Amino acid sequence: MTQELRTDSPVTWCPGCPNFIILESARKALLNLIKQGYKRENFAMTVGIGCHAKIFDYLDISGIYGLHGRTIPTAMGIKIGNPNLTVLAFAGDGDTYAEGIGHFVHAGRYNTDMTLMVHDNQTFSLTTGQGSPTSQENYKNKAEPLGKSTPPLNPIKLALSSEISFIARCNARDITHTQEVLEKAITHKGFSFIEIIQDCTSFNLDVNKRDKDMYQLNSPCKTKDQALKLADEFDYNIRKGKIPLGIFWQENKKTLTEEWPQLSNLKKKGIGWKDLKR
Amino acid sequence: MRLNIVIGGKAGQGINKVSEIVSQTLTNQGYFTFNYRDYPSIIRGGHNFNILSISDKKIESHESKLDGIVAMDDNTIKVHEKALKKDSFVIKPDNFLEFGRNLNVALAGALIKILGIDKKILIEEIKEQLNNPESLKAAEKGYESQTKKFDLKKLNNKITILSGSKAVTQGAINSGIDIYFAYPMTPATPVLHELASEQLKHNCLVFQNENEIAVANAALGASFSGAKVMVGTSGGGYDLMTEALSLQGMTEIPLVVYLASRAGPATGIPTYTMQNDLGIALYGGHGEFPRVVIAPGNPIEAIEITNHAFYLAEKFNTASIILSDKHLAESEFSSEEKPSKPLKIKIERPIPGEKKVVKASSYESDKYGYSTEDPFLAKKNADERIKRYEEIKKECKKFEMIKFHGKKDSKNLIIGWGSTSGAIKDAIQDLDAKFLQVLYLKPLSDEIKEQMQKAKKIILVEGNVTGQLGRLLREKTGISIKNRILKYDGRPFRSDELKEEIREVLE
Repeated sequence: MTQELRTDSPVTWCPGCPNFIILESARKALLNLIKQGYKRENFAMTVGIGCHAKIFDYLDISGIYGLHGRTIPTAMGIKIGNPNLTVLAFAGDGDTYAEGIGHFVHAGRYNTDMTLMVHDNQTFSLTTGQGSPTSQENYKNKAEPLGKSTPPLNPIKLALSSEISFIARCNARDITHTQEVLEKAITHKGFSFIEIIQDCTSFNLDVNKRDKDMYQLNSPCKTKDQALKLADEFDYNIRKGKIPLGIFWQENKKTLTEEWPQLSNLKKKGIGWKDLKR
Repeated sequence: MRLNIVIGGKAGQGINKVSEIVSQTLTNQGYFTFNYRDYPSIIRGGHNFNILSISDKKIESHESKLDGIVAMDDNTIKVHEKALKKDSFVIKPDNFLEFGRNLNVALAGALIKILGIDKKILIEEIKEQLNNPESLKAAEKGYESQTKKFDLKKLNNKITILSGSKAVTQGAINSGIDIYFAYPMTPATPVLHELASEQLKHNCLVFQNENEIAVANAALGASFSGAKVMVGTSGGGYDLMTEALSLQGMTEIPLVVYLASRAGPATGIPTYTMQNDLGIALYGGHGEFPRVVIAPGNPIEAIEITNHAFYLAEKFNTASIILSDKHLAESEFSSEEKPSKPLKIKIERPIPGEKKVVKASSYESDKYGYSTEDPFLAKKNADERIKRYEEIKKECKKFEMIKFHGKKDSKNLIIGWGSTSGAIKDAIQDLDAKFLQVLYLKPLSDEIKEQMQKAKKIILVEGNVTGQLGRLLREKTGISIKNRILKYDGRPFRSDELKEEIREVLE
């Protein structure tokens, strides 16, 4: 356990997995924020179940290694339990867009001040490569040998229509950009969602290596219509269109903590429920 | 002295107000009441009724034979007149229709007169509860329309009225609850409403999530952060929570669950009662891990047990399940007793925000909270989880895990639990029987086996089809109970009928 937020836990991701890079981006972002005054002990994380979730063992901050699909409500609970904590939820595409989709669409409505990072490699990797909601159409896998029959879901469009207040997309391989966006997401007041496009080195290889299709946005869109149009540039099928990266949308809305006088009071006092005197 | 009066009408006509006015007046006069609420899953129309049972001694049930009907519509008379005793009374709505929405107040006034209570007392009560000229006029007109039939003179009992839901709310507040997470589901919803209305006064928070899955996972998150947390639901919602209950077993994050059962399976008869969820309370959730399941039989016990649930959850990092049902949750009980002084709940475990990193994992994990698949650690952790249960069991011996009622030296042993206890207690008043009420279902008291071995005849009384407590007792004691009185039509036991059923078995 070092000050660098690393742990002694042996890393078990596949060689070359972009999860290593996401871990580094997150570690650097957190260290940078700690330098700027964020308290290390106030960081808390949740993860779902899948390859992404192993990050729990490698990042030396408090948290809950939760259940598949439940990373958002678990993280929300941590925040409601102590609004002074800085809460990060890591999740996979299966986690967020399949098992936990019901929580994702409500996240914008609650606008809990927390950050969700979805490691989207467009496949269920830890269960050996079945199709996820963002897998491309016709993706042949062991569960669907005839090919996946449904078109992929577009998470950015879903996030925009779910009124999520900070929406961004990153490339897992771009460590500097991911770190930068993550810092902005954490400092954003409200629910932040980062969709991280990630290769899988073992399954669904057809969607890998799209860096040359990617480009960075200069600034968030001014209108929802513009953001939706940008989101449409990439439909998650193979090699179709450009892939915009960066912050699609950012707005200031009342957060869950601000909505509830009880939570605002804890926030103001800088305490959690445990230290509340009645 | 015992009276049973039906107060009936359409949903939305305000029959509960009649019960409330009359019960409160009677309570002030020193009489014990028990109010059973029977309503279908309809917001307007249909047929709702209450059975208000009145006695000069403590009662916790209603009976099947009626001394009177207070009818807000003609249908009420049609439905209930065959249950009337000889020399009973019927108060019809016809003469009071002019009072419109104060029809219920007029009928309450009429009933108060029949019971022989002074008009001044009625007027005081109406002023206390409603205080508007129309209601006062209706109550007075109602009162004057009747002639006195009974003579309920003032008694010296100091009585308070409480429903099971209000009691669970009170128990949670006594325990210093910080957050209640819930999704609406009958019959757990009244606790959601009660706590929500009390939240600012007691500086706690009541949060309705998008579903029960979110409820249970958010509750674990908040408890992890150091809050004292309770969730509430009924069977179907509990099913959705069981995955998180299993997560509780692994992460050992304290959690209190209020499970108010109703008649299942599936949607079943949603506004009616059954004790059919003992099985899921005991066994719901995958894997093997300790938990506590406690079932109060009346509101005083519910206040105390809710506090025990918080205490045990926090002391042993476990899940405590308070098992109630529609009959306990929504019936109004009266009592002279006061609950025992609540135990203080202290949070002494490490939480995030403090210097040390704290990790809780759904995976099998090492002492730092990092995932492991090591067979030695897997076995060690499993052993420790089960060992913790032994410590819980030891601690629970400090509480009244079982209670005895009736003739303490009788060889006839009746066993039951939860909301059925009230009817059993009232049914055995003049029978040669001892009633063993099981409050702690997990852990189970060792004394039960001794009692069963000593008894000449054992009768199991439960509100379910398969005798779920009987099955648990057979598992724990090796003794199978042959005599079973089971009720599973969605309606609670009525003490006079139960008395006859027990008498038949005893003879």
